[in-house]
Amino acid sequence: MRRFPRVLATGVTALALVWTVPFRSLAAQGEANRGQGFEHVHALAMDAEGRTLFLGAHTGFFRSEDGGRSWKPVPLSTTQTHLDIMAIAPDLRDPRILYVATHERGVFQSRDGGTTWSEVNTGLGGLDVHGVAVDPNVPSKLHAAVREKGEGVYRTTNAGGKWVRVDDGPAGEVKILTSVNISTGMGGIFLYAGTAEGLQRSADCF
Amino acid sequence: MGGLPTNRTVNGFAVSPSDTRVMYVATRDGLFKSADAGASWKPAGQGLKNLAAVTLNPQKPNEVYAATADGIIFRSTNGGTTWERQP
Repeated sequence: MRRFPRVLATGVTALALVWTVPFRSLAAQGEANRGQGFEHVHALAMDAEGRTLFLGAHTGFFRSEDGGRSWKPVPLSTTQTHLDIMAIAPDLRDPRILYVATHERGVFQSRDGGTTWSEVNTGLGGLDVHGVAVDPNVPSKLHAAVREKGEGVYRTTNAGGKWVRVDDGPAGEVKILTSVNISTGMGGIFLYAGTAEGLQRSADCF
Repeated sequence: MGGLPTNRTVNGFAVSPSDTRVMYVATRDGLFKSADAGASWKPAGQGLKNLAAVTLNPQKPNEVYAATADGIIFRSTNGGTTWERQP
């Protein structure tokens, strides 16, 4: 097993801001209205058709059909109503298929646009999953980043039917994991990981 | 490479499916955008702070959404040039 090389997060510490915002401070606007009751947001994602926005937080999983103006909670489990949602990964070829990673119950899959869910954890060494990534070319192939017990990167080639540990994963706590369709030149593409130690990437042909 | 604050936690990441050179990262210090697959980064969204996540519309990659840790949602329709808070 090996670690992701840290390739992207080095560099200068300060740059002049090059974008301008033609209205009052966004931070000031934020202070005026402290969100919509979410705590510790971890993830944001949009479905393949660009219609539904999903948000994952310490307080659960939510969906918005109006670009984030209003939100409705989405229950993943009938036995545990407030799961800590760590990551969201839509299948960008099929808007019905969606994966969610949780802090305590592993990975959930929906095949009907988020109405019903099933746990797809066979083979995972632990259930604290901080990142899940759908391969944009082969959507049945996913990678997941597990923390603590069974820590490492796992891969499934059958849409969560079975996971196999393939790598130690990047250094630092994983915050997000994404498969990016950039060829490695070795038959694979790159996995990008946002971590506590910056942005890192690795070829996915572990 | 450069442009990202050193040793900062990257909380969120988004990439355009139609042009994978275009990437965004969300950090406590704000949003950063790359046009060269992460080789260099520039701040995108003056005033955006304490960001926990970022995503974009796969059908309209210039439509970008960012969320603060406490759930305030911002939307840009021009690839991060300007932003508006979602009520």
